[in-house]
Order: sequence, then structure tokens, then C-alpha cells
Amino acid sequence: MAQVELSNISKRFGAVEVISNLGLTIKDGSFCALLGPSGCGKSTMLRMIAGLEEVSDGTIHIGADDVTHAAPKSRGVAMVFQSYALYPHLTVAQNITFSMSLAGVSKPKQREAAERIGAMLQLTHLLDRRPAALSGGQRQRVAIGRALVRDPKVFLFDEPLSNLDALLRVQMRLELAKLHNDLKTTMIYVTHDQVEAMTLADLIVVLDKGKIAQAGTPWELYNRPANRFVAGFIGSPGMNFLKGQGDGAMIRLTDGTELAKPAQGAVEFGIRPEHLTIATDGPIRGRASVVEYLGNTSYAYIDTAHGPLVVEADNAGLKAGDQVGLVPDLTKSHVFDSNGMAV
Amino acid sequence: MTLQSLRRWNLAGGVITTLTLLGAIFWAFPLYWAVVTTFKFEQDVVREGIDWLPIRFTVEAYYNALFNTKLGLWYLNSLLTSLAITVLVLISSAAAGYAISQLNFPGRRALWWIILASFMVPIPALIINHFVLMADLGLLNTLTAVVLPQLIAPVTVMIYKQFFDSVPKDFREAALMDGASQWQLLFRLYLPMNWGITTALAIITFIGAWNNFLWPFLAITTEDKMNVTVGITQVTDAFGVKYARQLSSAVLAGLPVAVVYLLFQRRVTQAIMLTAGIKG
Repeated sequence: MAQVELSNISKRFGAVEVISNLGLTIKDGSFCALLGPSGCGKSTMLRMIAGLEEVSDGTIHIGADDVTHAAPKSRGVAMVFQSYALYPHLTVAQNITFSMSLAGVSKPKQREAAERIGAMLQLTHLLDRRPAALSGGQRQRVAIGRALVRDPKVFLFDEPLSNLDALLRVQMRLELAKLHNDLKTTMIYVTHDQVEAMTLADLIVVLDKGKIAQAGTPWELYNRPANRFVAGFIGSPGMNFLKGQGDGAMIRLTDGTELAKPAQGAVEFGIRPEHLTIATDGPIRGRASVVEYLGNTSYAYIDTAHGPLVVEADNAGLKAGDQVGLVPDLTKSHVFDSNGMAV
Repeated sequence: MTLQSLRRWNLAGGVITTLTLLGAIFWAFPLYWAVVTTFKFEQDVVREGIDWLPIRFTVEAYYNALFNTKLGLWYLNSLLTSLAITVLVLISSAAAGYAISQLNFPGRRALWWIILASFMVPIPALIINHFVLMADLGLLNTLTAVVLPQLIAPVTVMIYKQFFDSVPKDFREAALMDGASQWQLLFRLYLPMNWGITTALAIITFIGAWNNFLWPFLAITTEDKMNVTVGITQVTDAFGVKYARQLSSAVLAGLPVAVVYLLFQRRVTQAIMLTAGIKG
């Protein structure tokens, strides 16, 4: 187990800078999710920690060691790839113990390790099969087993669940959470799926264009977004944004609606779908265009003068075409200034 | 498809089949004639008229080829040189293909162009250079002289490079994380993952080396060092003009290749497609 510390890290591909002067400390035993849209640099960051990508500037420390220029095998990290990267010509047991085999560990010891890891990941009956004969979830577990056998200081996961179907993804998510609870090893997990990040991580780092938009606990990111990007990125469906003008004591929206929320100048008022209530006399008026029934709740898409807004309708019997009023819960609303920073 | 077009299709198919069959007969006839001749007595071979099958059956020609010539030794020489060429060509080509495909080093592009350029030069055009070089090295009349010039195999390098290029980089990176060195990457990952190609290339390289005549004919003049392809030219001198005996030596010389082909027909076809630039 070890702390991971990135200091002033930059990465350039030719003239293009994909990571820019980034600093981050991931505490020992933490489960850190690197979250962001495609192209934000999260995979590049993980690959730099793994040693698969050279760092243009800055240093990387794993524990007390400066590993900035160390070979991948010398960093004490293990990585689970998005494609699993299981060697097709080897059996499950051979895949798991490939690193031991390369290091010249005796066959009985390799088998012993494969059986131990296999038992831990419920792969015992599959040890002599080849990857082609495994399901997606089983392959995923083999990939994790291959990382586990190295007993690394840090686990790196590069979108490991993105090739699985929705049901299996939920199962594997749970298994990863259990694994982290059992091992207490530092884990760094790249994903663009915020649900994975929110459910698994104790530290989420949201990246935007190669910079950290915000780093914090899932609660902080959801309830105290530092900027409009994080507010819009975290949460599904996303936060609603309404443009307005603050006069110090309240915000006047573009259609003249006044909200008793202190703000100054041109601002955006942010409110999550679950913090909007449907009420006939609500100040924000609109017409329901689509109502999505999800079983435990419903989401209604309301066309308003501010653009389409999403509201959690709580199975209120709303139908498409209904005229509605919306009441925002101002205690849970957010305000962002013209630079997109939280006020 | 209408009935009329179906009939037209059947007719076209029939014509193509007949033409193919005629072509096959035309091609196979000399082979058939050679094999039939080997089972005839010499007097019957030169008899007037055409005997489609031996009038009197005998294996005397084979007996003479096997026991009154050095065919066994020539077989052994062919086997040794062909195996050496196959193993060395595969190892060196795989290593070169891997280096060009996966490693970054100064001059990589230039090396690749040199290999491509060498592919454009026919081997017979270099044969005098090879001869002079082997003579200068004092290797003429040795099996080493037969082997060395045949190790130039740009096509094999190109095929390996092409296949190594297509291995997803995740495998390489996973193995690097597992602690693999470049040699381990080649021999534990890239070669086993492309085992089918190696088998196909091994077979076609072996067949090519076994059948090669021109270079071994120039490099070797001592009977004891001859390959079977060169050795059978000596049977003429040993027996005078005796068709059955000469043809039996030729049949015996070609037999191992025919057996290899029959055993690995699918792989050989795949290898020919690969060397022709059609990915199998």
C-alpha cells in the first residue's frame, strides 16, 4: 500500500498539451476515481502513473519512491485494462501467473498462487480454460486476478467495466467495492461513468481539458460543485441551469421570475431535477414534453422560457402536454458566476 | 433467381469445371507418367508405343536409386540444410519483424525500406556475389555455404511485421506491466499469439529450401555434400541414360515435400496467400 503523489505533471504530444501542470495526492488505501468526458486526459494520467507513458514535466511518487522515470514493472503497480488484455494462448491460471512465470517462479508455486487467487475471485473451476471460453464478467475477474497476484502497492483500473452489460456492470462494481474493502490497497480508477465513480470512490477527481476541475468526496462533488462544469457533469439527469441577473438580494431570471437567492451580476442558477417540485402555482412555467417512467420515480422534461428543464416527477401522474409550474428548493440550489465558478 | 438464369449459371459452372479438370489433367500428366515409368523395366520404357500402365511391374529402379547411389546422404544433407534454414529464417525474421513493428530506434524506417528494397531484387541476380563471398570465406563445398545465402528472407520479415502490427497494444502493455523483457515479449507473447503464421511460414520455407537447386548446385561440387536436388543430377552419370532410375530418384527427391504438403495442405495454402500479400 502506498500514497500516490503527482507534482506539477504535464504531458505533451508534440505541440498539444493534454495534461497541464497537474498536482494531486491520493492517500494510502484510498479509492480514487478519475472522472471526466472523453479526451479530458484521465487515461493519459493513469498511463503516466503506470509508466506506459512518459511524463513531459513533473514528478510521480509512489510511496517514498520517485518513479517518474521508472519502468512499469518497477513501480509496484498493477493495471486492469479496458479490453482485459488476457493472453489468448494461455489458460486462466497461466494468465494469472504470467508475471510469476516471467520472473522464473517455480511451477508449483505458480499453481498455488493461481488457486489462491482463483478461490478469491470464484475462478477455481475455470483455471484451465482459455479466455475465449469465458464470459465478459469472468474475463474481468481474470484480469483482476492477474493484477492481484502481483500484490501491488497501487491498483490501476482503466475503464474496466465499460465492456460489460448493465447488469454485470452492477455486479462487478459491487465486487470491486468488496475487493477494496478487503485489501485496503490504493486504487485508481478511470471512468467516464459517474455512477461508477460515485459508488466506488472515496475521492473523485473530475478532469476537464487536462486540468482538475474539482477533487473531493462524492458528497462534496454532488452537493458542493466548485464550478458549472462539475455541477453539470455530476448527476444524472444533469443539473438544470437558468440564466439570470443578480441584484445582491435576489436573482431575476430572463423571463422576469424572481428567486430569493442572493447573487450579484450575470449568473446562472443551477438546480438538480430532484430539487424542483411540480406545483400548479410554481413560478417557473412550462409544458411537459416527455415523461419517463422509471418504476421508482419519473423524470419529466418541461419546455420553459429558459429552455428544457428536467424534473423528478415522483410518479405524480403527469402526462406529456400538461401545463405545469415548477418550484425550486432554494436551499439546495447553486449559483455560478459568469466565469462558471460557484458563488 | 429465375429458372432461365439458374440454367445459365449451371452451364457456366459446368464449362468452368470442365476447363479446370482439363487443366488439372494437363498439369498432372507428366507427374503420372514419371511415376508410372519408375515401375517399368528399362526395356519397357524405351519400347515403341504408349503403355499407360507398366506391362511388367518392378521396383528395381527404386532399389537402384536407394542402394546404388548416395541418395540417403543427400537426403540427410537436404534435411539438415532445410531445417537449419527454416529455424534460422524464422528466428531472424521474427526478431527483425518484431523490432521494426514494436521498437523505436534510430534508423528503423531506413531499415524497413532496405528490407522492402531487398524484396525487389531477385535472388539469382545476387548469386555471383554470394558465390564470391562464400569463396572468400572459404566456405564453398560446405553445408554452411548452402545455408547462409538462403537466410535472406525479406518476405518473411514483412509478414511477421504485418502480423505483429495487428496485435493490440494492450497485450504488450499488460506484459510490460507483468515485467516482460523484449525477448520475453517476442517469444512468450508475439510468437505464440501468431503461432499459425509461424507454422505456415515454417512449412513454406522448408519446402523452398528443400526444392532449391541453383544455389546448392553452384556452392557444392563434392558428392558427399550435395543436397538431394543436386545429387539426383549425378544419377545420370552413375547409370547412363536410364529413364526409370532417373525418374525414381526424382520421385524420391520430391517425396518428402509432397508428404509435407499433403499433411499441411491448409497451412501451405495459407502461407502462399500470405507471401502473395493476401492475408489468410
